[in-house]
Amino acid sequence: MKNSLAARLQKVIPVDWLNDWEKEEIFEQLAAYEPLVQQVVIEQLGILWPVNSSLCFDFLSHLPKGLACLSTEQLPAWVKGFLDVYEANGLRAAREYMADVEANFLCRIRGEKGLSLDEVIPRLLLYLRGLSGRRLELEKASSLSTDTNTVFLPRDISAGANKADNLYIYKLLSSFRWAEIERDIYCQQQTVPTVLEEFLRSFEDQPLAAACYHLLQTVHLAEFLRSYLPGLMRDGRALFRHLGQNAERAAAPDCQFTAVRQWLLCRCAEDPLPELSAETAAIIATAAADQSSHVDLLAATTDFYNIVHCQENLILPPPLLFQGELRPREARLTRLARRQEQKQQFIKALAAVLPTMAVAAPAEAEPPAKSAAPALTESGASLSPLRQAANKEAASEASLKEPRYICLDDEQLELPAELHLLARDIEDDLGAVPSFYIASASRMAGSRGQAPAGTLLPQEGPTLQGGLLYDEWDFRRRGFRKNWCRLIVKPVMATKGTFVSTTMAKYRGQILQLKRQFEMMRSQQRFIKRQQDGDDIDLDALTEAYADRRAGLVPSEKLFVRLQRDERDIAALFLVDMSSSTEGWVGTALKESLVLLSEALHSLGDRYAIYGFSGMRRSRSELFHIKDFTEPYGEEIKGRIAAISPMDYTRMGPPIRHCTRILKDIEARVKLLILLTDGKPEDYDDYKGEYAIEDSRHALLEAKAAGIHPFCISIDKEAQVYLGHLFGDINYTFIDDVKKLPLRVPEIYRTLTS
Amino acid sequence: MQITSQKIEEHLIQEQPFYLVQKNELIIAQAAYKNGIPLLLKGPTGSGKSRFMQFLAWKLQRPLITVSCHDDLSTSDLVGRYLIRGGETFWVDGPMTLAVRHGGICYLDEVVEARKDTTVVIHPLADDRRELAIEKRGELLTAPPEFMLAVSYNPGYQSVLKDMKQSTRQRFVALELGYPHADLETEIVAHESAVDNKLARLLVRIAAMTRGLKDAGLQEGASTRLLVHAGLLIKDGIEPREACRVTISQALTDDRELLNTLDEMVSSVL
Repeated sequence: MKNSLAARLQKVIPVDWLNDWEKEEIFEQLAAYEPLVQQVVIEQLGILWPVNSSLCFDFLSHLPKGLACLSTEQLPAWVKGFLDVYEANGLRAAREYMADVEANFLCRIRGEKGLSLDEVIPRLLLYLRGLSGRRLELEKASSLSTDTNTVFLPRDISAGANKADNLYIYKLLSSFRWAEIERDIYCQQQTVPTVLEEFLRSFEDQPLAAACYHLLQTVHLAEFLRSYLPGLMRDGRALFRHLGQNAERAAAPDCQFTAVRQWLLCRCAEDPLPELSAETAAIIATAAADQSSHVDLLAATTDFYNIVHCQENLILPPPLLFQGELRPREARLTRLARRQEQKQQFIKALAAVLPTMAVAAPAEAEPPAKSAAPALTESGASLSPLRQAANKEAASEASLKEPRYICLDDEQLELPAELHLLARDIEDDLGAVPSFYIASASRMAGSRGQAPAGTLLPQEGPTLQGGLLYDEWDFRRRGFRKNWCRLIVKPVMATKGTFVSTTMAKYRGQILQLKRQFEMMRSQQRFIKRQQDGDDIDLDALTEAYADRRAGLVPSEKLFVRLQRDERDIAALFLVDMSSSTEGWVGTALKESLVLLSEALHSLGDRYAIYGFSGMRRSRSELFHIKDFTEPYGEEIKGRIAAISPMDYTRMGPPIRHCTRILKDIEARVKLLILLTDGKPEDYDDYKGEYAIEDSRHALLEAKAAGIHPFCISIDKEAQVYLGHLFGDINYTFIDDVKKLPLRVPEIYRTLTS
Repeated sequence: MQITSQKIEEHLIQEQPFYLVQKNELIIAQAAYKNGIPLLLKGPTGSGKSRFMQFLAWKLQRPLITVSCHDDLSTSDLVGRYLIRGGETFWVDGPMTLAVRHGGICYLDEVVEARKDTTVVIHPLADDRRELAIEKRGELLTAPPEFMLAVSYNPGYQSVLKDMKQSTRQRFVALELGYPHADLETEIVAHESAVDNKLARLLVRIAAMTRGLKDAGLQEGASTRLLVHAGLLIKDGIEPREACRVTISQALTDDRELLNTLDEMVSSVL
């Protein structure tokens, strides 16, 4: 028995690779199963072993749990499922997938009608962001809620009869969460004097108070959505009616809490409204009115609580399908985190635009955060107030149109757009931009000119000798540090691997499409008129020449049209960030995009070069040669792209300057320098913060001055604020989702050059 | 040799075009006109640049000659050329000459599309010389005070091949015309497509959502013009969601995922 098992196992796994106790363990486990199960498991091991041996052991250890709820026939599908997860997200994700058979696998195969969040995340995320105009995030969670930054949705929904219905439910849930944020149910805006958590804590039965508040808010939000997104609520009538019928069956008689729920569902379903007691009706009227303030709603909650609390044997029903959970604590924490982040961003960004001369006078300790903003602060800097408008929709748009100024003593500076947005967010949160934000910023700006004792100052050192030396821009002295950085150009050894072929297979369809699009750009054929010789007579020119002759002028000799295939005289240099931060998905996406781009450019015939950069300290800034303008794209280049790996730090200045020099020597009508990076410039020494940004910015401006078009593609979730400054005069684009990078890069190139 | 031209009167705008002023653009344009400085209009497509020019021309009571620029637009297309009739040649003024001669407004729409050699005639006309040389006729026209040159372009297209040169840009007073804010846009949509205010507000709401998707791969959000189109179709009895699908979603993108998202937005609002 054991021998035959060993022989069968030997066929799929080279048993010699296992040590004795591993073998023993596997035999023991397999021997315990039915022969049929054994057969299937061994087959699956044969599939898993070549992929990853540790996946095999994970599979075996999770197998008992899997077999407990899966039939033998379902095993292969389960294995296929976690293989997909492994290929997409790695070993750890595959383990997690295996661990929860119920949620990850069974639920999904139980019926076709269910819809998993994974299937609709891209659509919902864009929907939410479009709706809110903010960068909200979306995450899977076991419960439905929002912390005002992220919307948490259940991992799958099967309440609807089919996929379309379930998609609608997802949309409804997302819209309600957005409305919670938009209508500020967590009382985060400055106008509300009460902290929601404290308010709820003041009741004897806190869960009941929370439920009352949440229900009334839901009534309020439903009314808001009925007017703001009428289509959404109209589509949901059948669903609301269905929920109402279910709730009716479960409802306790004379319970005002369930009566309000019933009322809400009937209202949403546009059905006849149930009778309510006079007191409850008054409470509902307050909750449903659009102009009700937070104070009104909190008062209504107290009244409602008092009515419901008196009732005996009250059992709180679970929240309605679209209602989710109230999470004041999470919302508060998120708000605090966001406030801190906005403060840092605002100070930094403002400091970058404040002129150095407008230095604040006394650099005293920061006044405490509580001090309200007077018009003039100790720094003499203040922000012009925002115009108030009645309607929020109009106000937010109007306020963006209207320029805002920072008043510096007697000077006015207009705020750039991104700061304007940030200031608006802070005002939404705190009511006004606290004066010490501006004071800190002007102090930070001030330190630029004076260069006081601070950590920001790079250590002075001897000038470097030998190698390729480049100057570095020091914004404080408004001049170059001569021969400050040494750049070393290094070759990249091609690796033989499957990376390029895997990428080509992964994006096969898209590559074909890209090639087709790029080929269309190449064969730009057009007739050019007024030529000395050509394929046909240019009638316009001929008429003109004839007329000229009759008018006594010397007629032109350019009388032909010629079919011309436009020479795309473009040279593009791609400079790729190879700093250690690109480790993992970013690096892979960068490499994939280089493969796709090379394929596309190969069919287009534009000249292009690829270099990578990294380095450590000013004495060792490295530029990796992947492809220069003359090398043809082929196996060697593919191998070099595959060999790109994360190295050290991001000192952007020297590589940009070197590439500018390379491009200067190239003869082309249009020269492009495209920088692919994942974040801020930063080096191991003092090349960081403002100094690094200013030097990189200057290097890009130098490139521009040399007649090169620099363009930056940045992959970073938090980069917007400094990007605007870094690339203000340079074109840039910003990619928030790494997965989109490989396809976006060729697309950007195409729009850039057509 | 006789000179025949298009009749300048045809270019005079008789009725007041519908235009709602966004902020101070009219005052600035009038001041620029008074001082003989040419005008550069920037803004996304469908945000009302051409309509503003019509309005300005009507306000100033000057004829407006619009030239839609394309990549084969040459100098003689702007200045004019000799033609032959019955063995005789005669000169025909181009749109720019016409405007200069009669003190009209010459508006070059999407000026970056025009051939680079057109700058030869634009530059001397756009600075304090205000001259137009008609080489073929050996004529040098000096623009009367009533003449105005205006150009427009859309900075949203980030193509390096279609960028305006500094030497050109720095001759103009530049006005940025973005999308109007919600109330104003509602009024515009309601007026232009004759739908009621409520529907117009919903359409504007959809547009605001699409404009929030700019980072997500949409090149530009829905313009006011698209909203007017949607309104017109709805008024003609097309089902509202379908009307938005064909005028807004499909017009904005071909990307499947984005199309789905746009449709979801439409079905939420309408």
